[in-house]
Amino acid sequence: MDKIVTPQDKDSSLDILKEKKVTLLEVLDRALNKGVVISGDIVISLAEVDLIYVGLKLLVSSVETMERLRGAPMSGAKEEAT
Amino acid sequence: MNIYIYGIIDFNKEIKETVTGLNGASIYNIPYRNIGALVSDFDESIPIKDEDHVLEHEIVVEKIMKNFTVLPMRFLTVFDKKDNVISMLNEHYSDFREDLDRLNNMVEFGIKAIWPGAIIRERIENAYKKAQSDLSLSTQSPGKSFIKEKFEKYKIDKEFEEEADRCIAIIDDFFNRFVAEKRLEKLKTDNLLLDAAYLVNKEKQGDFKKAFEELKASPGDLKYLFSGPWPPYNFVTLLPSASHTKSKRLDTFDKIFQHKGLKEAER
Repeated sequence: MDKIVTPQDKDSSLDILKEKKVTLLEVLDRALNKGVVISGDIVISLAEVDLIYVGLKLLVSSVETMERLRGAPMSGAKEEAT
Repeated sequence: MNIYIYGIIDFNKEIKETVTGLNGASIYNIPYRNIGALVSDFDESIPIKDEDHVLEHEIVVEKIMKNFTVLPMRFLTVFDKKDNVISMLNEHYSDFREDLDRLNNMVEFGIKAIWPGAIIRERIENAYKKAQSDLSLSTQSPGKSFIKEKFEKYKIDKEFEEEADRCIAIIDDFFNRFVAEKRLEKLKTDNLLLDAAYLVNKEKQGDFKKAFEELKASPGDLKYLFSGPWPPYNFVTLLPSASHTKSKRLDTFDKIFQHKGLKEAER
């Protein structure tokens, strides 16, 4: 897949590794939680609910972890619109 | 036999693309009227092992997306025979046709914005407490104190959300001119300010990417994650409805999450 993912600067192998991980998480979020769903006689089991939950949890926690690993803590929010 | 579906395409003939499916399986098109379902056959169960299979699903959809409009199916949509696939296509034809027309020549981009939620919340709380301390407070009964605390929390939460709305409006404004549709999710967590999916015409991809560069260069301490172009996963509109099809979700869903890699990712 030729996917542009820009979570941070691209000047180290660690960053490249993180980018690959983020790409995987973005794929998982879409393929597991989005897309066409055919219902009806399809078995919509508890497993699917778990799947959606775990998928989101993975994505959110990993994005936040990625930001923490970047080093410089964020300080102060973007200024409000005026 | 199991028939695994990758997506619905705006094409009803044999596909010429050299693309392989899950576990290297061959892919073919099941036509119905002027659309088709892109599928692979499996003799028995589909040996789902790990997230690599999710990537394989995605690779198929992306390769096909280069030449066709694709409605990506959710991972692990499986039918037990061809007749049921055709029944499904018949039942949902108008939905598929409408989506294929709407999503023609479109791609999806993802934007995530992360802000320091805890710091912002603390700032709001401090401002609120300062404003309260400036008021002369009389002794209150436990009941009144309880209600006051609840009200304070409500006010702080409300202001936190309003600040999020203001920031999201600023971010969204960078992209509005170049998008056909959007899906914005606010504050999935305190730190994940915005999780957005934008539907963009292929001719406007360059403009959209440029807008992101401008957003990144703008003042402020937010962090951004940009991804794409993706198949339009977030913009298919088929809603779950009654169906007589015999498709099924595999029982091995949760096995995916036993995989070491995903467990590590979760940590």
